[in-house]
Amino acid sequence: MELKICHLYPDILNLYGDRGNILCMEKRLRWRGISVTSEGVSIGQPLNVSSYDLFFIGGGQDFEQEVLLEDLKTGKSNEIKAAVDDGKTFLAICGGYQMLGAYYKTWDGHQCDFIGALNLYTVGQKERMIGNYAFTCEELPGINVVGFENHSGKTFLGEGVRPIGRVLSGSGNNGEDGGEGARYRNVFATYSHGCLLPKNPALCDHILTTALAAKYGEAALAPLDDTLERNAHQYMENRLLSKK
Amino acid sequence: MLSVIACKLSRSVIRLLGRGGTDFPGRIALKLCPNLLGALAKDVTVILVTGTNGKTTTSRMIEQSLADSGISFFANRSGANLLSGVTAEFAAHSTNTGKCKYPYALIEADEAAFKAISTFVKAKAVVVTNVFRDQLDRYGEVTHTLENIQIGLSHCPGAVVCLNADDSLTRSLTESMDNRVVFYGVDTPIYERRVDELSDAPYCIRCKHEYQYDYVTYGHMGGYHCPNCGYSRPNPDVSVKTVYSTDAEGSHILLRAGEAEYDANINLPGGYNIYNACAAMACGFALGLDGKVTAASLSTFACGFGRMEKFEIDGTSLRMILIKNPAGCNQVLNFLTNTTEPSVFVVLLNDRAQDGKDVSWIWDVDFEKVAGMDGRLDKLLLSGVRADDMALRFKYAGVPADKLSVIKDYDALLKACVSQDKPVYIMPTYTAMLGLRDRISKLYGFKEFWE
Repeated sequence: MELKICHLYPDILNLYGDRGNILCMEKRLRWRGISVTSEGVSIGQPLNVSSYDLFFIGGGQDFEQEVLLEDLKTGKSNEIKAAVDDGKTFLAICGGYQMLGAYYKTWDGHQCDFIGALNLYTVGQKERMIGNYAFTCEELPGINVVGFENHSGKTFLGEGVRPIGRVLSGSGNNGEDGGEGARYRNVFATYSHGCLLPKNPALCDHILTTALAAKYGEAALAPLDDTLERNAHQYMENRLLSKK
Repeated sequence: MLSVIACKLSRSVIRLLGRGGTDFPGRIALKLCPNLLGALAKDVTVILVTGTNGKTTTSRMIEQSLADSGISFFANRSGANLLSGVTAEFAAHSTNTGKCKYPYALIEADEAAFKAISTFVKAKAVVVTNVFRDQLDRYGEVTHTLENIQIGLSHCPGAVVCLNADDSLTRSLTESMDNRVVFYGVDTPIYERRVDELSDAPYCIRCKHEYQYDYVTYGHMGGYHCPNCGYSRPNPDVSVKTVYSTDAEGSHILLRAGEAEYDANINLPGGYNIYNACAAMACGFALGLDGKVTAASLSTFACGFGRMEKFEIDGTSLRMILIKNPAGCNQVLNFLTNTTEPSVFVVLLNDRAQDGKDVSWIWDVDFEKVAGMDGRLDKLLLSGVRADDMALRFKYAGVPADKLSVIKDYDALLKACVSQDKPVYIMPTYTAMLGLRDRISKLYGFKEFWE
């Protein structure tokens, strides 16, 4: 078996250690004897979505995110949309999450149109939602996800898109409806940095299984020694949830 | 001048209680008299040092050069670099009637607090070290940091501004001011082997095209130019022409200031300290100090606490090197992973406000280079409240599990450190450094930093 990962705009959308997520996926595949390649595709480079199985999109600073909007318009938006509809697996975080939606409206009313692959939109506000947080994962009963959120945009999901889970501590998508992240076909989108996957190994394996199953029909991953992963997860889960 | 006395008094009380209060007294005083800093700094000529990385070490180097040049001054040495802390430092160095005892003050200013501090003091020189991503949960984005510094500079119309020519972000500050500028930079690459790091500024700040580089020193710094609009590294007034050698004790370099050249030894290792030395040299040049004296002071200055600070305990050599953001930490690794002697590394990760609450940044640091040291890395000890995250980072970097241990208790950690027969390099985040130093002084009798 083999997975081909595409890291979109790695030189621009690279805030808050999100490249650790790629590293985590690569290692957890290799430790099980599954081949993996990852390739960056950035501004001006053609994106051939059919040659990849899993796409990763991170978050960036506003200044640099503006740089890539033009590039999306010149074709990548349509490619990405087609890949989502085609059942390719995506992990999108923070800015990348917002970008998969229809648009971002700033707090003073300026609207920025995004890819529109998922029926969701984001509205900016002045106050940032920042901090360690925890949420459930509907597809992994009994397992909570821990991470760090840092966003001023409030994201609202439309019809056909459901959250990854419910917020247990922190703000999540918008601080209002209790949902965190978005699930649509094989897309996983979340505000969680942290970085996300290393200390949520069950979620990482779930995403990898999704991508392998999409490619090979079915897939089961052998268990790994996750002692260190569990320690880091447990520490933050206790800190966030035992206070209550 | 009740507030001056209140400030001094609360500082004495806090010190008697045995805690290094550098900020709290100032906060009390500012409540009593909001313009206290303006009143205290009225007749003082001030040198301000700001920027993301290297403020403290650059300040210590400038401090030595001022002392060697016979200038009477005080400095905010204890790292109190917010408005309240700086106010407290001025109060501590003033008479009870609010008259400062020194004609000069050397003030390290936090890059976000700089715009407030600069409204109250008369700066003769401002040194900007660099702008990198740092603690984004506090500051937002690098362009935001840049704006803060820009506003601060607009409060310093009479100051000579020393800017890092090699940093495309810092260099852009000239576009909004009329001050005399002294550019400083390093004319040559510093490292043969560098860590892999992300650039904090790959795109032109003017026109958003990708920069081209003739050479990179580290991070996004070096000889950049924009092929589209021509924005580029300016010719520096003060520069490092040659790096003759650099080892675990320091660096030997050739400095140029204007037309004159000076051979200099920097008594701290690490390429980033070559930049700090160059910034200190530029400051001396801006102030009109004798370049020979400034260059010589680089070999005798005392480093700031936690900046390669050396302890000898029971025959074991410990060096403490503060880490606080990816760029700074990568520079520490550029130095440490090039050491030839097998060593023990210790990393302490906390996530309090002063450390940065978001620890994601450890995934942006090229810790893979530590794994690549093989036999030269003897052991890796992890501590701090987020030690488990740090252990996980090193697992994914490829450090073998049998070299990793998590020791959260500081006393047990120190015991493990001093029992090593190899040099120990301790890399703590800010509050972990304070906590660990506290235990070192309690257990082994080293003096505390505010003394």
